[in-house]
Amino acid sequence: MKKVMLSLSALLLVGSAAAQDLSGTVTIWSWDAAAKALESTIPSFNKKYPNVKVKVEDLGNQNVYDRGLAGCAAGGQDMPDIYSIENNEAEVFWARFPDCFVDLNTKGADKLVKNFPAFKWTELMAGNKRYAMPWDSGPVVMFYRRDLYQQAGVNPASIKTWEDFIAAGKKVNAKFNNNVKMATVANGQDDEWFRMLANQNGCFYFDNAAKAVTVNQPGCVSALNTIKKLYDAQVVATGDWGGQITNVKAGKTASAMFGAWYEGTIRTNAPDQKGKWGVYLMPASKAGGVRASNLGGSALAIPSSSKNQAAAYAFLENALATAGGQVTMLKSQGLVPSLLSATKDPYVKTAQPYWGNQAIWQTILGTLGDVPQARGTQYFQDARQVMIVVQADYIKGRYKTAKEALDDAAKKISSATGLPVAK
Amino acid sequence: MTTSQPLSPPARRAGRWARIPKAPYLFILPYLLIFATFWAWPIISSFLMSFKDSRLGADAPYALSNWSRLIQDEFFRTALRNTLVILVVQVPLMLSLATVLAVALNSKLLKAAGWFRFAFFAPLVVGTVAYSAVFRLLFNTDFGVVNRALTGIGLPAVDWLNQAGPAMSVIIMAMLWRWTGYNAIILLAGLQGISEDVYEAASIDGATPAQQFWKITLPLLRPTLLFCMVLSVIGTLQLFTEPALITNSGPGNATMTLGTYLYQQGFRSFNFGYASAIAYTVAAIAAVFSVIQLRLFGRER
Repeated sequence: MKKVMLSLSALLLVGSAAAQDLSGTVTIWSWDAAAKALESTIPSFNKKYPNVKVKVEDLGNQNVYDRGLAGCAAGGQDMPDIYSIENNEAEVFWARFPDCFVDLNTKGADKLVKNFPAFKWTELMAGNKRYAMPWDSGPVVMFYRRDLYQQAGVNPASIKTWEDFIAAGKKVNAKFNNNVKMATVANGQDDEWFRMLANQNGCFYFDNAAKAVTVNQPGCVSALNTIKKLYDAQVVATGDWGGQITNVKAGKTASAMFGAWYEGTIRTNAPDQKGKWGVYLMPASKAGGVRASNLGGSALAIPSSSKNQAAAYAFLENALATAGGQVTMLKSQGLVPSLLSATKDPYVKTAQPYWGNQAIWQTILGTLGDVPQARGTQYFQDARQVMIVVQADYIKGRYKTAKEALDDAAKKISSATGLPVAK
Repeated sequence: MTTSQPLSPPARRAGRWARIPKAPYLFILPYLLIFATFWAWPIISSFLMSFKDSRLGADAPYALSNWSRLIQDEFFRTALRNTLVILVVQVPLMLSLATVLAVALNSKLLKAAGWFRFAFFAPLVVGTVAYSAVFRLLFNTDFGVVNRALTGIGLPAVDWLNQAGPAMSVIIMAMLWRWTGYNAIILLAGLQGISEDVYEAASIDGATPAQQFWKITLPLLRPTLLFCMVLSVIGTLQLFTEPALITNSGPGNATMTLGTYLYQQGFRSFNFGYASAIAYTVAAIAAVFSVIQLRLFGRER
């Protein structure tokens, strides 16, 4: 025991000596609330590394992506020290510009693997290289209006499967003369619902090895089927990002399903509905099935051209790999941690007044371990474009069955990417 | 020493080289270098790139994969079809309107002609992003002034941006709003180039205004109309801003154009090889269309 203590204190000494050594400026490119969240972790970082100056530049989501592309294409010119990247889009960078970012394993990220859920790493790796550290995630949950459910006589605890959800929707339709729907589905503009439901069923556009198209596998067929059933039962409305928010504000929908980052969207767009909202797990495709999924989420990477990589990595560790850093970002901007130890933080158990004093973060973060793995691959955008059209066509009735629709989608994705359709 | 002896071939060549004035070339050398670096090289480079699967990295071997994909690609066909629909509907509509507008603006009966000319040209001065945002708002299903007006006179509201047909018509209306005045001003310049004498002679011969329009104005305006038409066709083939900012190519891919598909492949999927193949196809289509128009309408009388 004494030996352990001695080596521990030796380690601490070495650690603090190294901390004193780090200096210079670390610049970070990020966007909107995410940038503000990173800023909120600077004080705790500077406590450990007082000589490092951190500068967060809020360029906006699209601009970060575009400038990163330009910088990597130019061989790492004009890149920051830390680069924000969305998980779904990440693999494009690793595939096109394998030398643009630092392999974080060389900095010690391989020791942190178990601290994050496996699904968060899949898209951040290429071969054995670990190009970025998981940041926030998007565990999917159902947000619902307590008052509207109550008026329609729906008990959210009884909604366990999509069949139950449809049955509840019929009650809501009956109560409000079809003026209130259960949810708003993006159809024709996006395929978010398909992705959430497919992921829940353990299916996605591609297999986890990114070697084959799997969009016509049973889990995905069941997902598309469910969306069609929701439409056929007339319990959902259609709307894009803006339309969904409008429906929430106007009380035209009794619930909304999204990645948990949507919490902030509802809370800031409808502050007058404080106390009326709650959260329950997404319904399963069949009784006893998985009630978790992931939509969205980001990571942080260090460009190879950074002259201050040690300090940049220290910042990553403090903000993302400590419960303190992650919970700071959760509190300040509602960014959902993907670090497993952050799920045990006392704040997570706190009742949230906006959500009818429900401890929603406990519910939301509790699903993290159940989220099936899926990866966007470098062909994410190609596949998504195909699925948006195929989903809309299937809802419109242009295909006889979901299987037929997804066989067609698989064929199209295969021809766009050159990957074979999985048998 | 005799001078009658013929010079040996190398000496003669040197002599011809010596006779070429070099100063002018030295003066244009900076331009030529810039042209070669920033124009010629990218054009060649993107052609070469169209034979590479750029998704495999910089060392990808040359292959025909992009071009064979292009031939089978349903999305490309959709983008091409959408672009052609806009071309066939919007360009003739716009040029007819512009011609009528130009004749009206040229009329001596018009008071405050300068103000009207400015007013019709003004849309072009507005930033594309700003006007696209305004069109999105105007045609918003729930709050848009267009739907308010429709329901106000007892017509049903239209879900403009979430349905294929209406979304396409919004794009066409937006382009009409922005570009009709521009073409009208060019046509107006053409009209003012037509001599008054011709109209005077026609009036003396008893030609009605309508006859004058069809028999004099239109034929003499033909070179200007041709210019407008070629520019509009090329512009439409490159169409990007409106579908990208007003409808985001949607719903589905109902308003996806060659321009937005090229952008999506190049800068969303980072598939530069395939984007290059699309770009070369668009350029080829534009060239073919221009030749056809010049042949059909451009012959000298």
